[in-house]
Amino acid sequence: MGVLSYITFIPAVGSLLILFVHSEKKSLIRGVATLFSAVSFVLSVWLCMNFDASGSAMQFGEKLAWIPAFQIYYKLGIDGLSLPLVVLTTLLSLISVVASYGIQNRVKEYFFWFLLLETGMIGVFVALDFFLFYVFWEITLVPMYFLIGIWGGPQKEYAAVKFFLYTLFGSVFLLLGMLGLYFASDPHTFDLIELAQQSQYFVGTKFILIFLALFIGFAVKIPVFPFHTWLPLAHVEAPTAVSVILAGVLLKMGTYGLLRISYPILPEVTSLFMYPLILLAFINIIYGAFCAMAQKDMKKMVAYSSINHMGYCLLGMAAITGANASAGIQGAVLQMINHGIITGALFLLVGVIYDQAHTRDINAFGGLGAKLPIFAGIMTIQVMASLGLPGLSGFVSEFLCFLGAFGQAQYRIWVVLSVIGIVVTAAFFLKMLKDVFMGGFNSKWEGVLRDMSARELVTTVPLVILTILFGVYPKLVLDLMDSTLTNLIQKVIGG
Amino acid sequence: MNLHYLAPEIFLTLAGAAILIGETCWGHVRRGWISVACMSVVVSAVLVAGLPVSEGTVMGMMAIDGMAQYFKLILLAGVLLVLVLSSDFSGFSDTTVEKKTQMSWGTYSALVLFSTVGLLLLVSAKDLLLVFVSLEIVSITCFILTGYLKHSKRATEAAIKYFLVGALSSGLMVYGISLFYGVFGTTNLDVFVSANLDTVPRLPLVGSLLFVLAGLGFKLALVPFHMWVPDTYEGASTPITAYLSVAPKAATFAVLVRMMAHHYDINITFLLAVVAAVTMTVGNFSALKQTNIKRMLAYSSVAQMGYIFVGFVSAGDLGIESVLIYVMAYLFMNLGAFACVMAVSNQSGTEDIHGFAGLSERSFFLAMCTTVFMLSLTGIPPLIGFIGKFFVFAAAISHGFAWLAVIGLLNSVVALFYYFKVVHEMFFKSCVQPSRISLPTPLAGCVIVTLFVTVCLGTFPNILLTWVQGIIK
Repeated sequence: MGVLSYITFIPAVGSLLILFVHSEKKSLIRGVATLFSAVSFVLSVWLCMNFDASGSAMQFGEKLAWIPAFQIYYKLGIDGLSLPLVVLTTLLSLISVVASYGIQNRVKEYFFWFLLLETGMIGVFVALDFFLFYVFWEITLVPMYFLIGIWGGPQKEYAAVKFFLYTLFGSVFLLLGMLGLYFASDPHTFDLIELAQQSQYFVGTKFILIFLALFIGFAVKIPVFPFHTWLPLAHVEAPTAVSVILAGVLLKMGTYGLLRISYPILPEVTSLFMYPLILLAFINIIYGAFCAMAQKDMKKMVAYSSINHMGYCLLGMAAITGANASAGIQGAVLQMINHGIITGALFLLVGVIYDQAHTRDINAFGGLGAKLPIFAGIMTIQVMASLGLPGLSGFVSEFLCFLGAFGQAQYRIWVVLSVIGIVVTAAFFLKMLKDVFMGGFNSKWEGVLRDMSARELVTTVPLVILTILFGVYPKLVLDLMDSTLTNLIQKVIGG
Repeated sequence: MNLHYLAPEIFLTLAGAAILIGETCWGHVRRGWISVACMSVVVSAVLVAGLPVSEGTVMGMMAIDGMAQYFKLILLAGVLLVLVLSSDFSGFSDTTVEKKTQMSWGTYSALVLFSTVGLLLLVSAKDLLLVFVSLEIVSITCFILTGYLKHSKRATEAAIKYFLVGALSSGLMVYGISLFYGVFGTTNLDVFVSANLDTVPRLPLVGSLLFVLAGLGFKLALVPFHMWVPDTYEGASTPITAYLSVAPKAATFAVLVRMMAHHYDINITFLLAVVAAVTMTVGNFSALKQTNIKRMLAYSSVAQMGYIFVGFVSAGDLGIESVLIYVMAYLFMNLGAFACVMAVSNQSGTEDIHGFAGLSERSFFLAMCTTVFMLSLTGIPPLIGFIGKFFVFAAAISHGFAWLAVIGLLNSVVALFYYFKVVHEMFFKSCVQPSRISLPTPLAGCVIVTLFVTVCLGTFPNILLTWVQGIIK
């Protein structure tokens, strides 16, 4: 057992401990949850400091025989692709735990599920055995079902079931693809690294089917049009902290899966599918943006903007066969991180206002800029980052994604058209800022709304700092993943 | 003569007879006779585990191989759990209070034991006559047990339906066996397993196999032979429903595997594959609209049989391994689910799914356990149901039945919907009667044991897998 196991399972240990705490001792439960997710976060920061960014090999590896009778191993490891996502997960989890202090109803169950969810998410990013990956992947579904279904908004039960059904639908295809790969490999293995080493044999119709099966599995999570319909519902109905996790981490599991599994193991087929992928990216960008524009509910708007932002990520990923592959893939991974941070913060901020006003209707507010200056300031920074203002993190990653995709001549038309998405994003976010923060103050809220509390600041300010930091100095993250991603690109292009 | 191999069966028969005689002397003592029966089951399991395993047979009729031992052990574990469940089922006492008649617990325990003897014979049967006889032992005792609450109209209806269908299936089977005898001149399965099928007339052979399979299909409740299942399961008392849903089916799979393992080239594989696909689909879609939890679990068991049948159809070493693993997985998780159902219906007096409303507030432990069993039945890792599904579909994919795997996996998405109707009630609805549910010790024991197996063997399936692989080699 090494540090990766500790990072992964410490939250699970915390969740089991919580089961033994009396349900009336709410602060103790919150304390335990905070402690365990904080330990996990600290360890992941330690990981960052001790990570050797110069090599593309897996680090901090662990391998134990788990089901040797079927060549299944408990194998963990991280590289430049998974490390940033692990840190993102532990950070957002810790922040979400703190942001969940406001939950008063069934506190014990809430934190039990929440910590279990954290273990599942971290596990997905550190697992190097496909079977183990799948187990963690599925473990995330169950807690999420309960978190949405018990503590969510008015349509929570419907949203929870829909989320579960959709994602399970995706997972079964993932399972099919996984078994397909296992039986196609020789010697049979679930080891993702070994499978990638055998990739030159994975050519032909069968592997196109396997790629499609895997793609459906990942596409539901990302979510790629037309598998996206669970997202707005789940994001809107989920409690604030859970929305943060959904948008910040869960969606990234899909894109991470593509980069970790589909790309290096099925490079030949991947190159075939890059053109369809850019079309899907285009649809995601445009469709997400226009849907967001039509929303009156702030949370829904942010949720649809996630579909749009994951579109940028796909755009960058589709660039892998082009001349600017490096920019595209780096942009895509950076976009995952940035979107997690920015959108996470946006959901928290929407939560702040909703907790007090009990509405998220954009038109219900006005003139809040003068009344709640800190809230308005932070919100403005995050919104600007989300719409891609230079100097903030969103711009860097979106720019890299566009640059990457532009490197391939036949993609250019779609890249150019996708720029419309940026304009629309700017339009709806600016309109929201105008309606909420400017204009006359709605006297209904006199005395109801207050500015951000200390706890709310503690949860959002770190994200704001990161947004600015990665906007000014993205090298911090890019350096971590550079050699890993270069290796991945060679793998796919070299076929 | 190597009759000592029959020690477990002989012991159980004697124990059953002793209980019957003892009851006339000491009367109806509920927990007493059930405890005696439990102990005999344990002794018998020890005997099974202690007897050496060999490739030989007893009188050319009974295999004493690893597979027989495997099935016997899990069946005895299942029977033990059912007996423990019976000691806590409140439905029994309600009837006795109302009608002022005593439940005859000795007879009940003895019948379960006799039925178990039938199961043990069935899993090692190597001769179609023995298959038939032991299947009849199981069936007839099950008919009686189903209708054991003789004042309950539902139970009587259930028993009669079960009996009529059972009699029909026995008839079909005997007809198949007679054709089989006509083809091979013997009812011994060894002859069939080692026969060169090119030299035998094809039509009577396929005919005989289809009739025998149809007979077994009734026991397994494969579609289209599943019509009796919902009514019988609903009418029978819950412990017996639990018993019916696992034990005869597990044993029947042993017969199927023994009979067909070496002959998949008889051109009926595709037909069987279609049966598997239809069974899964019909079972799951019928379960969707059920509101009675026992009926829902009845259709769920139909669907589960379909999954196991996929493994059987896929064949090969991996296919047989997957059948063995899934049978065990199904036995424990389904008994666990029934134990939870019993705990709830004992308290609330209803078998409607709404009886589960707000269970998480009434007993968080029980609600979590039920959730685990429902997740396992759906096939979510790291639970044993997932391990079963994983190997079944792995077998399907590796033996060219990828389309069956696709249908099966899509079915498990459908299944999620109805299994989680229960979870939905437990966690998302508030309860009508906010009284806490207290679990009697035996029932809690059942839940904990099945939970332990479901979780531990699901997380660390290597022990099970190594065992099963050892049997197949």
